[in-house]
Amino acid sequence: MSNTITFPKELIKKYGLAGPRYTSYPTALQFHEGFDAEAYRRFVQASNDDLIPRPLSLYVHLPFCKELCYYCACNKKVTRNRERAETYLHYLDKEIQLQGKLFDSDRQVIQLHFGGGTPTYYDDIQLRHIVEQLSRNFLLSRSDSREFSIEIDPRTVDKPRIANLADMGFNRVSMGVQDFDPAVQKAVNRVQNEGKTLRLIEDAREHGFNSVSVDLIYGLPLQTPKSFERTIDSVLSVRPDRLSVYNYAHLPHLFRAQRMIDSQQVPIPEVRLQLLDSTIRKLVEAGYVYIGMDHFALPDDELSLAMKNGTLQRNFQGYSTCRETDLVGMGVSAIGKVGNSFVQNQKDIRDWQAVLEQNELPVWRGLGLSGEDRLRREVILAIMCQGFVNFSDFEERFGIDFRTHFALELESLIPLQDDGLVELSEQSFEVTPVGLLLLRVIAMKFDEYLINDQQGKSYSKVI
Amino acid sequence: MSADIEQKPYFPERLQVACSQCTLGDLCLPRSLDAAGLEQFEHIVNKSRPIQPGEHIFRAGDKFQSIAAVRAGCFKSYVIDKNGEEQVLGFYLPGEIIGFDAIHEKTHRANVVALDTSSVCGLSFESVTEMARHLPKLQEELFRVMSLHISELEASAADLSAEERIARLLCSLSQRFASRGYSAKEFNLSMSRRDIASNLRLATETISRVLARFQSAGLIKVNRKKVAILDFEKLKELARRDTC
Repeated sequence: MSNTITFPKELIKKYGLAGPRYTSYPTALQFHEGFDAEAYRRFVQASNDDLIPRPLSLYVHLPFCKELCYYCACNKKVTRNRERAETYLHYLDKEIQLQGKLFDSDRQVIQLHFGGGTPTYYDDIQLRHIVEQLSRNFLLSRSDSREFSIEIDPRTVDKPRIANLADMGFNRVSMGVQDFDPAVQKAVNRVQNEGKTLRLIEDAREHGFNSVSVDLIYGLPLQTPKSFERTIDSVLSVRPDRLSVYNYAHLPHLFRAQRMIDSQQVPIPEVRLQLLDSTIRKLVEAGYVYIGMDHFALPDDELSLAMKNGTLQRNFQGYSTCRETDLVGMGVSAIGKVGNSFVQNQKDIRDWQAVLEQNELPVWRGLGLSGEDRLRREVILAIMCQGFVNFSDFEERFGIDFRTHFALELESLIPLQDDGLVELSEQSFEVTPVGLLLLRVIAMKFDEYLINDQQGKSYSKVI
Repeated sequence: MSADIEQKPYFPERLQVACSQCTLGDLCLPRSLDAAGLEQFEHIVNKSRPIQPGEHIFRAGDKFQSIAAVRAGCFKSYVIDKNGEEQVLGFYLPGEIIGFDAIHEKTHRANVVALDTSSVCGLSFESVTEMARHLPKLQEELFRVMSLHISELEASAADLSAEERIARLLCSLSQRFASRGYSAKEFNLSMSRRDIASNLRLATETISRVLARFQSAGLIKVNRKKVAILDFEKLKELARRDTC
């Protein structure tokens, strides 16, 4: 993939249709309840039986928030009732124990992520308790190369808390900034102090967090290219290692919180394109490497290096440099990935707790991948992470003739080639610099479920 | 494994077995018999129904009546030690004979369980010995197979490092797969790393660590339970064996 990005405005308008983000393939839409706790246990057992079992990634979902951010589409619970959050921890302990028992004790955890909600809704004593419970039930890596990250809401964290998080073993943070403009902050009900947020990023560096990542959102109500540029300049002044710039998808029919947003105030498509255009230009000018999708990183960051040498991976948090792991998701609605399966926990806190009360795994649904799913997953990963698909890589491994197997898919790439998004050749195809921004559009051509069902109304806009 | 499966007879009906047509003809007991001998032999062979992974064909303590020749799949034999731990004694591939250990005490010592969907040919031991009296070639073959078992056991009792043990297992499997017409270089193992560890008397994590070391040294490539051997010479050297 090249790092020069051209902004193909007309093409983005043309292809600006709905599409999945491919943090997994097949996407969660394909999960079904026929995949139960018993099925999950079988996949875990098979993963333990591997000759060299994969290391583990743990994801812990902490869903509580003090206040509602109106743009939010995550599974979260807004409450000031500390007792509910305390009860949640009690059940989380149980789940950690049940999950820990399933995995062979020599399988190292090289990646850990606390996501939300707002993980820092909990105080440091509670967070430390979770880490200790994980450590009692899993073999947490002690290597410097481990990636233990936590999402931080700067409104809930100060310098001493940063020090505590470092002491618990976290070495990466991602901070929700979204936008510094006071009017925008008010419109989305997330008012946070700019100076304090920037200082916190510096504090994190000081305390040895070796990667600080900042989340921004474009397309929020009242945003203008000018106001958003100011936010970006401000964030760039502290040079975070990684930046994620997400697109706000206004889907009030799906996400109740978004009904609080005045649809009239949401930027029109033309403005959104300007927002994206100027954001990308600014970040690239500032020396950031465009990794793909919504992600940017400094050139010496591992993500940029992994992209350069073709070892980039995709996971539920976006992109990653870890070699392939089995992912254990814990907490309400958490998604796991073990061997050739996906699994998702009960999405309602009460249901999740009720199952754990019976000392059972709170599995809601999942999916065991077919051979065809695996093949397509690999192709989509190659598009999303390498921007390059070499047919022979798949032919031997999956016992197919790529050109025959994907005859229709390759044919459907021809119009994309005519528009300059991909370049097809005899034994491979490559994403062009123009196509980089439309990775999803290219990947969608290989999504068997989309091909069979061309609606996909509920996906967020590609741009 | 659920009880109802266990209770189904392995040999539901008398299935006509044609050893002369069998692809394992060069490996199995009757391999050195002439056409007339083969025909006689076929009469004492019972072909089993498909045996599911996890299903046992022998249990420790079972009265010894017959031996089994693996037709397809893979079996492991194991005993439970006094701490209640499973100790894996060996793995059996198609063409290999299970049950010789029971001759001495007339009782099966080991449990034998399928690791894959498998099938066997059952041979009444009484009939086999009876027939061996008239067919010296069969008797010779019986002695040869038993001797092979003994020599394998003696070799495994040697004082070997973890690397050597694992290299030997890989060599042995490669050679066994090759003689069954499969690739010597790339094979899928039916056994878990736990089974291998128990069989080689190593810790489970040692198996993975050593295999990972072999992998980074470019000797093998491992994907889940698939092993590709990249450097035979090195592996043989490690196994301290001339053949692989």
